[in-house]
Amino acid sequence: MVASAPPWAVVLVPVILAGFAFAAAAADGIFTARAAGVRLTGAVAAAPLAEVARLLAGQRRATPAADRVLWRSGLIAVPVAAALAAVVIPFGSVTVSRMSVGVVWFNAMEVLTWAAVWMAGWGANATLGLVGGYRFVAQGLAYQLPLMFALICAAAGAQSLNVAQVVTAQAHLWFAVWMPAAFAVYLAAVYAFSFLGPFSYPAGRDLAGGVMAELSGPDRLMLQAGRWLLLTAGAGMAVPLFLGGGAGPLLPTWVWSAVKTLAVLAVLVWARRRLPTIRADRYAEVAWVVLIPLTIVQALVVSLVVLTRGGVPL
Amino acid sequence: MSAFAAVLVLLAMVLLVAAAIYAAGWLLGVARSPLPVVPFTGGLPPAEHAFSRFHVRWYALAMLFLAFDMEMIFMYPWTLVISAVGPSAVIEMFTFLAVLLAGVAYAWREGALRWA
Amino acid sequence: MGLTQALLRVGAARPHVMIASVPGGTEVRLAAEAELRRRGWPAAPSPADADVLLIAGNVPGELDDPVAEVWRAVPAPRARTQAVSPDEVPAALDRARSLAGDLSRQRAALPVPGDPPDEGEGPQAGGGPGHKNGGPGGMQMPGGMDMAGGMGMAGEMGMAGGLRVASRGEDRDGLKLDQLHVPLGPFLPDWPAGLVVRVTLQGDVIQHATAGFVGVTGEGRPYWYEPWLRAAGERADVGEAARRRTAAYLDSLGRFLAVAGWDLAAVTARRLRDESLANAPEATLGPAVRKFARRVCRSRVLAWATRGLGVLSPAEAVAAGVGGPALRAGGDVCTRYRQWCAEVAEAAAVFADRSPADPGLLEGPRGPLDGRAAPSAGLVAVLPGLLAGAEFAAARLIIASLDPDADELAPAGVGAGHGG
Repeated sequence: MVASAPPWAVVLVPVILAGFAFAAAAADGIFTARAAGVRLTGAVAAAPLAEVARLLAGQRRATPAADRVLWRSGLIAVPVAAALAAVVIPFGSVTVSRMSVGVVWFNAMEVLTWAAVWMAGWGANATLGLVGGYRFVAQGLAYQLPLMFALICAAAGAQSLNVAQVVTAQAHLWFAVWMPAAFAVYLAAVYAFSFLGPFSYPAGRDLAGGVMAELSGPDRLMLQAGRWLLLTAGAGMAVPLFLGGGAGPLLPTWVWSAVKTLAVLAVLVWARRRLPTIRADRYAEVAWVVLIPLTIVQALVVSLVVLTRGGVPL
Repeated sequence: MSAFAAVLVLLAMVLLVAAAIYAAGWLLGVARSPLPVVPFTGGLPPAEHAFSRFHVRWYALAMLFLAFDMEMIFMYPWTLVISAVGPSAVIEMFTFLAVLLAGVAYAWREGALRWA
Repeated sequence: MGLTQALLRVGAARPHVMIASVPGGTEVRLAAEAELRRRGWPAAPSPADADVLLIAGNVPGELDDPVAEVWRAVPAPRARTQAVSPDEVPAALDRARSLAGDLSRQRAALPVPGDPPDEGEGPQAGGGPGHKNGGPGGMQMPGGMDMAGGMGMAGEMGMAGGLRVASRGEDRDGLKLDQLHVPLGPFLPDWPAGLVVRVTLQGDVIQHATAGFVGVTGEGRPYWYEPWLRAAGERADVGEAARRRTAAYLDSLGRFLAVAGWDLAAVTARRLRDESLANAPEATLGPAVRKFARRVCRSRVLAWATRGLGVLSPAEAVAAGVGGPALRAGGDVCTRYRQWCAEVAEAAAVFADRSPADPGLLEGPRGPLDGRAAPSAGLVAVLPGLLAGAEFAAARLIIASLDPDADELAPAGVGAGHGG
């Protein structure tokens, strides 16, 4: 049973989110250092903190005739969207917001990034950034529908849009076990909306950083932190949706939540550099012709199971 | 605290944190004012402002996406009532989806999914 | 302020370095990339992300302005340094790091608020003699700062003027939307040194492109061809030539994989390249190189992402003067990188061969260097045809799969390599 947290716990949401994001960035630094053959020291693991320090002290940049309002709004909206999306994720057996439509809320907050990243690309009045911003929207058109169908699968399995009830419905069997296609599509979509890993097309090196090409100082910190926070929020949401929330033997529920979130983050960060960039013009075809029918079939399976069981969780 | 009250409080908090980061950057940074620069394309100056009517080639896909997105609005509440309404709910929803998938197949054959 | 100095010191422990590679500076660039990898310092993709601008090699006259332009775009805290030979790289990086972490010197180099933006004729753009490539052994930036140039630049740009607004042009689907004329300059990340491709972009599709090298000095020998040029006079053995060739292919592959976004493979390629140039023992290096080549060849995702891009038929290649692996592959980007992988694996098999190399049988990494047009001239000549109609990412992949080298145009008597 997932209960409501005391009111002051709202303060902990960004703190915990940032903590996990830092752990993910540190792990990424460690994997990169291993691949490059660099000796692993404490400094490697603390690299995200050094990066924050460097960016805080850095100077911002102003391009000529930039659209400053859109630019800054876009940059700030990315981490804000991540934090808002994370508000419905239960930690253990408490949740800060017992929204009855938590799944839809998560989807809606993630969609905010479409506007935010496009604005970040447009606002700078720079060609490479502009191309990067439009690339994100093209990528969005490809990943969004399979993601929505995956969320529908999880919601249909529990017959509820309330995240707490989705957790309860997995008491006997995790959704990741009997909805594997939805789980896999969801994880790919987490890469896509945080534009990291194989879906870093909008911020790719071929565009000299794309939407990040003209950013420095606190601006860059906002967007870079936003990406990692989005990845963390996505990984955190995978736990109640597909991995049974805080359920587990022996240990308290919040420990299980944390362990499962870290496990998903570890997989995402490990696989991040192992695939080439998947470009939207190639991916759109695969997403619409393969992934959407796949997730629709998955949703059909789920709804048939739910029908035959008469609403009792599997 | 109601669900959305928590969200509002969180929104206010996060905006404050963002403002604080910018304030910290202004106070603690090496330079107070931003550096005026020319957009980077490799070292040579660009010829025009980048603000332009960008030719978005995936406009057909965007129309298709809108159709599906409207369908999703029906699917979210549908998940709540599957077993209550019974088999007719499943049949109706997936017939609807099949019709939309026929549209996707047509768009695929017409090349709307391949734009570059 | 103490806190700012502390932040600067923490940030300067791991500065982001942008390497500005110029024609003739291949060896320095290789040393710089290896040093950065060893220290674990990230390479910045754009000046916005850079703390240190490392100029690898002597800057030719034509590239002075682009270098100054890039330097003006680097935000504080920043340091600029130059290394003219591979041994100077570690010292240059250390100097730059200490400069980037020094608050008082950073603050001293900032423009004084209240300077009218239109001024700046004097100390701007290029600055004094210390900014150009120094004489033998001259490499360091005095003080390392050129901030006055930045204020002058702002004056030229003005508030919103100084730049045209995009105008329209025809397109293949009948819409007439705006076109942007973008010079893809010499200092993009993972880009051939000295190459400038001026494109007309509509959306993110290139309508028209012209390509050429800037800053080819006409002195020096191309680094990748050294064993072959030596074999004509002195004797180089097959193993050494194979090592250099393997390193050349791995360098091109590393750049290609970085553009394709496959970071792990790019890092591996560059690490193997450094080991190959450092004469690592054949017993470990050979199998590692072959295993890597096999992994890249077998990647289905990379093949799917690059299939059908930049098709260069053998007939067109011969007509344009393209030789070497690009001609042998005779197809799209996918076949070209697979050709590189196959040839790398072949070359890795003969590392230990100490027999003298037969000059008549040898061919360089991009094609035969036999006194006719340089292979890279042909590669640049086919670029405009291949890039027209290509999307931006596809264009970057095409350029990376051909990988023309400016150094080959250096020896006198070889073609100048200006593309259509």
